[in-house]
Amino acid sequence: MEKLLKEKSGKGEYDVIFALSGGKDSSYGLYKLKKEYPFLNILAIQFDNAFISDTAVANAKKMCEITGCDYFKLTMDEKALCDTFRKAATSTNAYSKFARYRASDICNTCISIIKQKLIEQAIIRKAPFIVFAFTSGQSPTPIIDLQVNFIKWSRDLFEKQLQNIGVDDKDESFVLKNEIINNIDKDNIPMILHPMCLWDYNEDKIIEALIDLGWMPPKISDSNSTNCLLNAFACQNHIDKYNIHPYAFDIAGLVRSGDMTQEEGLEKLHKELSKPLIEMASKKLDLEVE
Amino acid sequence: MDEIKQDILGFLQNNSFMDSSTQLGDDDSLTMNGIIDSIGLIEFLDFISEKYSIDIPEDMLTPENFDSINGIANTIQKLIK
Repeated sequence: MEKLLKEKSGKGEYDVIFALSGGKDSSYGLYKLKKEYPFLNILAIQFDNAFISDTAVANAKKMCEITGCDYFKLTMDEKALCDTFRKAATSTNAYSKFARYRASDICNTCISIIKQKLIEQAIIRKAPFIVFAFTSGQSPTPIIDLQVNFIKWSRDLFEKQLQNIGVDDKDESFVLKNEIINNIDKDNIPMILHPMCLWDYNEDKIIEALIDLGWMPPKISDSNSTNCLLNAFACQNHIDKYNIHPYAFDIAGLVRSGDMTQEEGLEKLHKELSKPLIEMASKKLDLEVE
Repeated sequence: MDEIKQDILGFLQNNSFMDSSTQLGDDDSLTMNGIIDSIGLIEFLDFISEKYSIDIPEDMLTPENFDSINGIANTIQKLIK
């Protein structure tokens, strides 16, 4: 990893575009990445999906201060985002069967927007790396060497998925802009890295280390997210539609890799979802839950 | 050729991309029929590269070559020659 990072760094405006939600995994991921590889010039991008908590914003800014990384908040039209999440919540045909095991339809939509826009930012800023703090359960592949055809294919696929749920993204607000793909420098195509796959993962130790650094524990009572106010609703919606807990696959991966005990995993999966959070999100999306 | 198709179907079934009862024609689109998405595609391409010890050239990474059982089987045959 170090060899790869050193080889490609120091040529663009930034070396890394880092997906920073302000939650525990990405906050720790940013800290550890900068600690292990201090030569990296990092732009941390926090996507405001209209449901991020104030604590998550404060934590993201704090982690950037501590690590000396630049911070950028990516915002979008709130009404358009809520409309898209509402359509994802009421759809059952947007994503593949496999995607349903990885995340809820709402999360799949949100993370797809983030991926599209972060690849776009990396191309614009000539950054050779995009880093996501996915755990080994969420994404077992540590390095994804993007190619133009694949970027284009993924973009068209997401556009089709949006169309399936009734979203016409004619302004390319959510998908990677075609003009940017068409003008890409083929010698500088960014790679996606998931370094958390290569590091030991212990949730309690991560939170302990972050609190020591000044990261604030979340005030929200969601056992699966420390940053997103939409997550509990998204989980409930997914369970209601498919009878699948959207974190089961992720947690199973952590248990298999030895990063979480089976008891801890089962406890997380059986923990009741936060009713106040579900009510708040359903009100904002103008949707009811079962 | 049939063996390659069976390998592909086996991978898709064993990795929860599709049920054994799913009806899928050899020319049906994997992405448009909700079998696979962009994240799954990355894992699928990794599987193909490792299983057949091939590198997939950039210009071959297109829906025509990798979005149906027939397309994939033909592409693998070309690359292992």
